[in-house]
Amino acid sequence: MSFVELSHTADVRIHVRAPTLDLLFSESFEALMQTIFGKDRRGGHSKEIRIAAADTETLLMDFLSESLFICEVEGLVFTGASVVTDGKSLTAVLDGEPFDRSRHAGGTEVKGISYSGLAITRDENDYMLDILFDV
Amino acid sequence: MIEGVKRTGTNEWEVPVGYIPGMRVPGRFFLSEALGAVLEPGAIQQLANVATMPGILQNALGMPDIHWGYGFPIGGVAAFSLDEGVISPGGVGFDINCGVRLITTPLEKKDVAGRGDLIDELFRSVPTGVGAKSSSLKGSAKSLDGMMIKGSRWAVENGYGTSRDLVRCEDTGCMKEADTGTVSAKAKQRGIPQGGTLGSGNHFLEIQVVSEIYDAHAAKAFGLAAGQVCCMIHCGSRGLGHQVCTDHLKVLEAAMRKYKITLPDRQLACAPLDSPEGKAYFGAMAASANYAWANRQMITHTVRQVLSRRFNIEYEEMPLVYDVAHNVAKFEEHEVDGKQTRVCVHRKGATRAFGPGAPDLPADLAGCGQPVIIPGSMGTSSYVLSGTQGAMERTFGSTCHGAGRVMSRSQAKKRQSGHEVAANLARQGIIVRAPHENAIADEAPDVYKPSDEVVGVVHDVGISRLVARLSPIGVIKG
Repeated sequence: MSFVELSHTADVRIHVRAPTLDLLFSESFEALMQTIFGKDRRGGHSKEIRIAAADTETLLMDFLSESLFICEVEGLVFTGASVVTDGKSLTAVLDGEPFDRSRHAGGTEVKGISYSGLAITRDENDYMLDILFDV
Repeated sequence: MIEGVKRTGTNEWEVPVGYIPGMRVPGRFFLSEALGAVLEPGAIQQLANVATMPGILQNALGMPDIHWGYGFPIGGVAAFSLDEGVISPGGVGFDINCGVRLITTPLEKKDVAGRGDLIDELFRSVPTGVGAKSSSLKGSAKSLDGMMIKGSRWAVENGYGTSRDLVRCEDTGCMKEADTGTVSAKAKQRGIPQGGTLGSGNHFLEIQVVSEIYDAHAAKAFGLAAGQVCCMIHCGSRGLGHQVCTDHLKVLEAAMRKYKITLPDRQLACAPLDSPEGKAYFGAMAASANYAWANRQMITHTVRQVLSRRFNIEYEEMPLVYDVAHNVAKFEEHEVDGKQTRVCVHRKGATRAFGPGAPDLPADLAGCGQPVIIPGSMGTSSYVLSGTQGAMERTFGSTCHGAGRVMSRSQAKKRQSGHEVAANLARQGIIVRAPHENAIADEAPDVYKPSDEVVGVVHDVGISRLVARLSPIGVIKG
C-alpha cells in the first residue's frame, strides 16, 4: 500500500506516494474507496471514465469527484482502478460490485474532495501528494 | 498559544495583520486557555487565509470550536461587503446547510429511559449511514424541485410537518434566492433518492432529556422544561449539496483568474458577489440549503410518527424549538462603521445567534433572542442557548456550532472499538445504534472537546447565553 492516513481531526487527510502518475491516481482512488466502504470490496462490474482538466491536481479532483458520483448514483463499490494519464487527461477503468450493506457500511461518506493543501510533487523516485476528503 | 497570536482579553485572541502576507483585516477568535491547548496551528493559518479575501469586513472570526478544516477553519465566520466582497464555497463547505434542530415532547425520562425498542424503531425508520436511500418517502424530480425552491414549506405542504414548524426555522426554512437552474443534473440525480436520510459521519438523531435550566424565562419561551424528553436531529443537504459545492468550486476556481484574485488556498476559490459565477453559486447554494431544511423536516416527521404511535401522543404535542444552519452564506443587515449595512455573512461550522428584537424572529421569541442549538457528542451534553446583542455587535450575529474534534477518526478506531464505546455508554444509560461499529468508534465522546467548555466561552464572551442543558439517553449515528 502506498498511502497513509495523516493526522487531521475533522476530516480524512491522506499522503499518497507512487512511482508513476498512473499509480498515484489509482492509489488515491483506493484511499477514497477504503475511506467510504472499508477493505472488503470485490470486482466484476467495470466502468470506464475519461476526463480532461487544465492541470494535474484538478484532473485528480475531477477523477475522484466523478468516482464519488458514480458510486452514489449507480450504487457501485469499486475494488480498483487502472488509470492511464498524461497529467492533463485520463482514462480509468474501474472494477467493482454493487453496494452490499453487510460488507460496505464500515466506512464513512466522503462529501467532497478538497483543494486545500493539494499539490502533486516529485522526488527522484516518486510522485507524491497530500489530499483531504471532507467526511 | 500559537506564536504570533496576541491575547486581547479574557478568552479573546487576535491574529494580527502581517501574520501571513496579504491579510486585509486581523483575525479574531474566542478561546479559553484549556481550549487553546488543543488548538491546531492549521486552524489559525486558515483563519489568516480568510483575512486575505477581497472585501472582508472588520475581522476574520473564529468561534470557540475553531478547528482545522479546509478553506475556512471550522468555526469560521466572515462578512463581505456587497461592493467589493466575494462569495466562496470554501466559506460554506461541501455539506451546505448542515444544521441541527430540536423538538420537544410531553414525555419524561421514565417513559423512554432504557427503551432499546424505541431506539431500534427510530433506527429502522430513519435511513442512516453509507449508501442509505429514502425509505417510505419516495422522491421524484417534481418533489426535488419543491424541496429546493420551498425548503421546509414544501415538506409541510406535503404532510411532513405543521405550519408552526416554519416560523421556528432560521429564515422560515427557506432561502428565497434559490435558483434551481444553477443546480447541475448530477446534483439533482443525487438529491432525488436521499430525501429524509440522515447521512453518516457526525450526523445523528438523539433522544435527550432536559437536565438543567439556566434561564427560566428563555426556556419557557422556547418551550423547554426540566425533565422533558426532546429529540435532536443533525444532518444536511446530502449528496445534492456535496455535488453543488464540487461543481461550483471548479467554476469559481477558474473565475479567480478572470477576476485577478489570488489567495493562499485554492479551496477558498471565490468570485465577486455580483459576478455571474458568484450569483450562480449563491443560487445553487440557497437551493441546497432549502433541500437540507426539507430533509430535516422529513426526518422530523418520521420521528414524530414513531413517537406518536409508541406513546399515543399527538403530532402537535411535539413542537419544533428551532432549526439552525451551520454551513451557509447569507445576506444580512449588520452594523458596520456605525451604519446598518447589508453584507454577505459566511458561516462555516458556526451558528446564527441573532439577539432580542431581530426582525427574523417570531413574535414569541423576540424578547429572548434566537434559540441556538449546540450539539455535544453522544456521551456529553448538548445545549440550548439564546442569541445576544453582543453577537450582533461582535460576530455578525454568530456563535459556535458544536464541540469540535480533538482526535482523528483513525486514532479513535485504534484506541477503542465501537463495541467498547457502546458498552461504556450503555453503563451510563445511553443506548447507541449505528449501521456499523466503526461509526460508533469514530464518534466516541472523548474524540470531541468538552461541549461545556465551548459553550462556557460563548456565554462568558457574551455572544450567546446559556438557556438549558440536555443529556443524551438514546443515540442513532449515521
